[in-house]
Amino acid sequence: MKTKLTHILLPISSLIAFTVLWQLAARRYPPEQFPSPSDVVKAIAELAASGVLWGHIAISLIRFGGAYLLAVAVAIPLGLFLGRFSRCHRAIDPLIQILRPISPIAWFPLAVLWFGIGNAPAVFIIFLAAFYPVLLSTISAVRAVSPVYLKVAANFGANPAMTFLRVIVPAAFPGIMVGLHIAVGTAWIHLVAGEMLGAQSGLGFMIVDARNFLRTDEIMAGMLLVGLLGLAIYQGMKAVERLIGRRWGVKA
Amino acid sequence: MSAIGQTAKISLRGVEKRFASARGEEQVALSLVDMDIASGEFVCLVGPSGCGKTTLINLMAGFERATTGTVTIDGRPVTGPDPDHIMIFQDYGLYPWKSVLDNILFGLQARRVPAPEARERARAALELVGLQAAAGKHPHELSGGMKQRVAIARALAVEPSVLFMDEPFAALDAFTRLYLQDELLQLWSEKRPTVVFVTHDLDEAITLGQRVVLMAPNPGRVQRVLDVELVYPRERTGNDFSLFRRELFQEFHLVHQQAAEEEEYSI
Repeated sequence: MKTKLTHILLPISSLIAFTVLWQLAARRYPPEQFPSPSDVVKAIAELAASGVLWGHIAISLIRFGGAYLLAVAVAIPLGLFLGRFSRCHRAIDPLIQILRPISPIAWFPLAVLWFGIGNAPAVFIIFLAAFYPVLLSTISAVRAVSPVYLKVAANFGANPAMTFLRVIVPAAFPGIMVGLHIAVGTAWIHLVAGEMLGAQSGLGFMIVDARNFLRTDEIMAGMLLVGLLGLAIYQGMKAVERLIGRRWGVKA
Repeated sequence: MSAIGQTAKISLRGVEKRFASARGEEQVALSLVDMDIASGEFVCLVGPSGCGKTTLINLMAGFERATTGTVTIDGRPVTGPDPDHIMIFQDYGLYPWKSVLDNILFGLQARRVPAPEARERARAALELVGLQAAAGKHPHELSGGMKQRVAIARALAVEPSVLFMDEPFAALDAFTRLYLQDELLQLWSEKRPTVVFVTHDLDEAITLGQRVVLMAPNPGRVQRVLDVELVYPRERTGNDFSLFRRELFQEFHLVHQQAAEEEEYSI
């Protein structure tokens, strides 16, 4: 009981302490330069009341979800293939290793040139941000499948399709899950960047738009919302992981 | 009990396994093995590490190829793993994402057994090892001994004519091991598959095997074949048991001494 209490109390008290410090620090500066937490809350309330906030959040979530799912839909099959056929992997690996360190943001000028302004460049950037973690973790998960699983499948005479779909894919799944988890974080971070650079809507755009009007309270409101939504998505991901972990017989 | 006068179920002729070590030298894992195993026989391969017993069972099970010589089962050369010859591994090889029942069904589905019949056979196999109640559980909810019984049930469900067992009880505690030895003998006497059982435990070998093949390292080879003419179930503390035990231990010490001397020479 005592530990449960501290589990809840400790994080809450640190959040309260942070807010108080922020409030105290903000007093020393004009609100246009460093808005206080109460200014930010007020800004969020205003944005919510005027209705623009919900539109931005919705479009951001749709872009994020769409681009993320697209990345997963391409990266997992490709990763399964490259993990299974080590010759193809050896051929393609150098290319992956060169492309991977390039920040998705660096693709932005080309993305605008190719796709124009709007949804597409933001989606493209989120796609890139999610793609590599999922691809690489899928490849290594397939390569790490325990040899004894494959021996058992071969021993019972399972054909290649059955071995792949019913042994390799489920055996690799926990490893793939790690990549999905990392990709959620990187994709969400790059969502804001993508929207700041080219979009006319979404939370990233909202922050840029606020900057153009020197509304620092709205900038911080946007940042805070990005953080909170990111946390919510992360928690949702963890819940799904626990659920799957239980089914897979591994503790998450 | 030996295979003389019968057609052998498993037959090895001049089987040798060599491989190149990391330094590029040729290593002999197994040197010139000739052996016949009769249908329904229970043979134990026993010896210290490096004696090639695991290599030998892997050659018979089709997971490895012999460098020279031939391995035949039912007169046909072994070219790969075969659903009629099932291997039981020390680490069970159960699929952790499948329930116990689904693990057993896997082997039957791979054989394309129709679903209703597969279910029935899987349940019957579970009953054989006394784990009906665990059908819906996942492997991580089971003890090591239960996991190995599931693996045995999975093997028995496809009714193989040969069971290869590679140190199946080595990871279990002493009591569970004794219990599973008795259970295995019970199943063997009911179903009468040919069993090749690898162990590094001399007592286990004498408890189980009609024949005990003692192997020696450097290079891996057959040192001595012992016919254990004791009726089942064997009294582990009996006088006859002790006789075989003494003989095997003496032979083993000889092997041990040789290995130690060779090591001295090589230094």
